[in-house]
Amino acid sequence: MAIIEVKNLSKTYEYYKKQPGLWASMKGLFHREKLYKEAVKEINFSIEEGELVGFLGPNGAGKTTTLKMLSGILYPTSGEAKVLGHIPWKREPKYQKQFALVMGQKNQLWWDLPAMESFILNKEIYEVSDTDFKKNMDELVELLDIKDILDIQVRKLSLGQRMKCELVAALLHKPKVLFLDEPTIGLDVVAQKNIRDFIKDYNRKNKTTILLTSHYMEDVKELCKRVIIIEEGKIGYDGDLASLIEKYAPYKVLKITFEGEGVKEADISKFGEVHQFTPNSITLRVPREKAKNVARDILSSNLPVDDILIDEVDISDVVRKIFSNGK
Amino acid sequence: MKKYWHIITNEIQRQFTYRASIAAYAFGNIAELVALTVIWTIVYRNIDVIKGYSAHEMISYVVFAWFFSFLTTTYSFEQNVARDIHLGTLSNLLVKPQSYIRYVMAVATGRITIAFLIVLVQGAIVFSFFRGQLTSLPDFFTILLLLCMLIATYFINLFLSIIIGFIAFWTMEINGTYYSLKVFSKFMSGTFFPISLLPAFFMKASFFLPFVYTIYIPVQLYLGKISFVEGLRGLAIEILWLVVLYVIIKIVWKLGLKKYESVGI
Repeated sequence: MAIIEVKNLSKTYEYYKKQPGLWASMKGLFHREKLYKEAVKEINFSIEEGELVGFLGPNGAGKTTTLKMLSGILYPTSGEAKVLGHIPWKREPKYQKQFALVMGQKNQLWWDLPAMESFILNKEIYEVSDTDFKKNMDELVELLDIKDILDIQVRKLSLGQRMKCELVAALLHKPKVLFLDEPTIGLDVVAQKNIRDFIKDYNRKNKTTILLTSHYMEDVKELCKRVIIIEEGKIGYDGDLASLIEKYAPYKVLKITFEGEGVKEADISKFGEVHQFTPNSITLRVPREKAKNVARDILSSNLPVDDILIDEVDISDVVRKIFSNGK
Repeated sequence: MKKYWHIITNEIQRQFTYRASIAAYAFGNIAELVALTVIWTIVYRNIDVIKGYSAHEMISYVVFAWFFSFLTTTYSFEQNVARDIHLGTLSNLLVKPQSYIRYVMAVATGRITIAFLIVLVQGAIVFSFFRGQLTSLPDFFTILLLLCMLIATYFINLFLSIIIGFIAFWTMEINGTYYSLKVFSKFMSGTFFPISLLPAFFMKASFFLPFVYTIYIPVQLYLGKISFVEGLRGLAIEILWLVVLYVIIKIVWKLGLKKYESVGI
């Protein structure tokens, strides 16, 4: 049975238009033009237990709105959703004890106190027993390597350290479902990788169902087997990341380095579309099914090949392509 | 309700990190009292009795009204509630198995604890400064009644703060409303001077609002100007107001949440 089930879910926001200027502001006191924005339009998907699904899309596509509906913060305009058999926006404590939401841009930790105080408070709020608390705490502290920062005021921590503590606060009650909204936003490359590795390990060990949104393609590439792409409130793609690449990126990239003097562009362009060129290293784009043959041809030609590498297209290019196709 | 107890202790700890801010409040408290006592001392130079208040009674009134009002203030708690709503912190609180109204009540109570202790110390200093001029302590039962009234006063103030804070569901600015109500309620509660100095019309109107029961009536009880039974009646009306305000909180919360859920803010 699906853990998360979404049927025809829609959300329309109301907002007001205001022309620039003082006069318009005064008019606005009496009459305002009401506008509607359909943030999410009749989306459908379901997620099985233990899946780690990436939720992709440009800013304002409706990712966060969907997560907010699934965690019960927002009430949908129409449609249904069930998470662990509960309707999220009823906000039943029984449901709330089984999931967690981590928002990269909003913290739940008490800013002026050491993170430990927030953990203890969450222990009480989620009614975690002393033994479970100790066990979960030890496990998380070990995995995230944060033993030394537990007693430091949250405001004094770096963004990466704070994010780790946010994750601990969210996971202390062992949620069955975890919503992560941009968990790596603003982090440096090393911190991003740490968080990523942790999410991967945690999902594998605990079979927690995770729905993650991110702007960083690395996150998605590393973590998610399945992706859901949402654009302008509609689902553009739902399926394997690998087949997504196959479908939208029908070519591979050959990175070739040459010895000595190198090569001339004219010698190499007959093999495929040249993307980057210096005499000693080039990047070629070739149709997926021909990649192997082209590589062999280049190796067996009299060009001074030093090394050759066959790679997938960058997934951000793929996603960009999907988004621009939609328009 | 262990969780709410932890929220209170967390908030007290948080207050300790802002020691300077607490001291700043304490300074403001005293400044207000100094201003009031100076005015009345000058006024009474040439007059013996004003509307039934002798100079000593008036100083006693002002000192105790000051003391009671700072013991029961919420120190602009409406700002905290508004901030939760505007910054979206409310979202983080809503997804947890807890009641937001109980959560804010716990935060508010933890938040005032240290300031409360400071006011007690300040009170002791002020009382010893004015000793000889102040009305002496009433009997034990009156003190007990007074304590109950002041607890009710604190919660009336807190409930009002929460309601005003909830205005943030609809507007980005609550400062105007907050400021107006603050001045109005201080005036109508008799914190600056006995309400009986006002024209009869104001006096009558004030009894239809909760404010007069929060400071004026308790001080009257302390000064022995009203009987114990009248004091009990005052407490009963305070409790009635608490019930009314709580119902208003619940209604405004429901409406506000509906808006929050639909807009996301």
